[in-house]
Amino acid sequence: MVRWLKFWAPQRGSIAFRLFVSSIFWSLVILLGAGIALSAIYRRTAEADFDNRLDVYMHALIADVATADDPATAMPTHLGEPLFEISLSGWYWQITRLDGADKTIRTSRSLFTSHLPRLADLGATAREGGARQGYVTGPDARVLRQVERVIDVGAEGNYLVQVAATTGDMEGNIDKFQLALAATFLALALALIGSSALQVHYGLEPLRRLREGVGDIRRGGREHIEGAFPTDIAPLAAELNLLIDANRGIVERARTQVGNLAHALKTPLSVIANESDADPALFATKVREQAHLMRDQVSFYLDRARMAARAGAFGRSTDVMPVLESLLRTFPKIYPERRLLLINPAGLAPKFAGEQQDLEEMLGNLIDNACKWAASAVVVNLSRVRDAAARHLIQIEIDDDGPGLPENLRSAALARGRRLDETIPGSGLGLSIVVELAELYHGTLSLSTSPQGGFRACLCLPVID
Amino acid sequence: MRLLVVEDDRDLNRQLVAALEQAGYAVDKAFDGEEGFFLGETEPYDAVVLDLGLPGRDGISVLSEWRKIGRKMPVLILTARDRWNDKVRGFDSGADDYVAKPFHMEEILARLRALVRRSAGLASSELACGPVRLDTKAGRVLVEGNPIKLTSHEFRLLSYLMHHTGRVISRTELVEHLYDQDFDRDSNTIEVFVGRLRKKLGVDIIQTIRGLGYLVVEPGAAPPAS
Repeated sequence: MVRWLKFWAPQRGSIAFRLFVSSIFWSLVILLGAGIALSAIYRRTAEADFDNRLDVYMHALIADVATADDPATAMPTHLGEPLFEISLSGWYWQITRLDGADKTIRTSRSLFTSHLPRLADLGATAREGGARQGYVTGPDARVLRQVERVIDVGAEGNYLVQVAATTGDMEGNIDKFQLALAATFLALALALIGSSALQVHYGLEPLRRLREGVGDIRRGGREHIEGAFPTDIAPLAAELNLLIDANRGIVERARTQVGNLAHALKTPLSVIANESDADPALFATKVREQAHLMRDQVSFYLDRARMAARAGAFGRSTDVMPVLESLLRTFPKIYPERRLLLINPAGLAPKFAGEQQDLEEMLGNLIDNACKWAASAVVVNLSRVRDAAARHLIQIEIDDDGPGLPENLRSAALARGRRLDETIPGSGLGLSIVVELAELYHGTLSLSTSPQGGFRACLCLPVID
Repeated sequence: MRLLVVEDDRDLNRQLVAALEQAGYAVDKAFDGEEGFFLGETEPYDAVVLDLGLPGRDGISVLSEWRKIGRKMPVLILTARDRWNDKVRGFDSGADDYVAKPFHMEEILARLRALVRRSAGLASSELACGPVRLDTKAGRVLVEGNPIKLTSHEFRLLSYLMHHTGRVISRTELVEHLYDQDFDRDSNTIEVFVGRLRKKLGVDIIQTIRGLGYLVVEPGAAPPAS
């Protein structure tokens, strides 16, 4: 039930909510207006019907009076309606002579001793033909519908002929009609609410898909917004895709430029370093020293520039296994005397939520480090863990059987540009760049002792489920 | 040992060639990918130093093309792009080792020695045949523990022969591997060099196989049945 409500009732402040509320508001206004109009029309029709019926009696009365031998005193004979005979039945007629001295008033028996009021006195306007109709209060205080007309029978005088009847039946019918109308319109309103919810849900569904598409890209599950969208938001999806491509283009260009810069700087640096290496003079020593400093600085800032270019990129995912496999194919060539072992007991095939180059950089540096120090073997162990926020992570442990690293030196090993043993070649930036890359992807790098007594680097990285 | 250096930077190329020649190699040089590819395709090099960032045709495509047509010489790639991505790409296209720029010349020399040794199927940097020991690292030759003074041509000749002990090496092969392409080749000089080398070593480890070439075997071993 709660789910159902959640599905139908849009959240406040959403477009869905606005559409829903405005559609309900206007539906109700229109329904109410239509109800009032219909009810008024029905009442008019009912009244007209009732008046017609009263007119029939009035015509009969007039015919009786006009054709009587003595219109002044003759009692009508053709009405044939028993209700006119029963006292205070609610059905009355009355004939009043308007001219002459003899202002006799003849009434139906039902009126008993009372008389009907005159509509002309109450201000009712005459219809075509001199007839009037309207509501009056009868002798028993009931509301009566009354028609009246003045007839001129020539020498026999002028007569006011009135017929009145209680509106109880008519009002009853009108009430019944209004009740039915209200019930029908209520059902209609409910149906409209339901259909607007459905419309909003169906109509806004592409927007929700668009939102999910953008979310997928941010999380790295997809590279583009995929799927067909309605023509009005398809351009938005296309523009978003172009924006993402443009963003990637910028990152790619920045990376290429950084690579070009690396190439442009490092070759002359090589030349300077080699030239000064061959010369024992003091000046050459100074140049050599400075060239080495420049080399380290260039490496350091190139790595940072690459990383900064990446901070704006998103929507990439990388299969971990092919990267590990290509690295494990490469390292035996660099270190032919080391054995490399990949252990993946759970047969994992994780997807790293980030760039392939960064994953290669992190794993490459860690395995390279392990190979440099290992006595004979390096073991790479893959497992799946969860972090404090219950996120899935891939844990990659890289163990060597080398001398290991005392605990007090571990944090120093992660610091910028620090090399713990100058005799093993390497720029010394390997571990710190791994830490920074891992942090960029909300992962971690920790150092400990391997089961073989050597060094263990444990890299945890977020994955896409 | 004959090497090829493919590097577009003229200064670096000159330095590499000078350092390698000083270390006793015959060195050919190329300054772009096309020229480098052509030399590697046609000449029998013992190793190649290949820069990846070359004008015209880049190093990766030169290397993979060599491998595709079956050229198996060890290749050391030089790259300024020292990301693992670039390294893996280099190895996957057939490189045997890499050195990132900027580098120390000693590193290049050490890597090349290891590559040449490995491609000859040798485990140690010291080659031995009977009483003769050749230290590729130090560039020294000892006979029964006594150092022998050799010219760079003589050293190169002995080194090539000792990298391929037990195999008959023709004069043409020796010429191809001992001299760079600019050298005025005359296979008769080989005979002169071998003669001088035999005299300096004083032990008979270089046998002449008539009509075929030379063979390095331990002294006293029987020549292979012809």
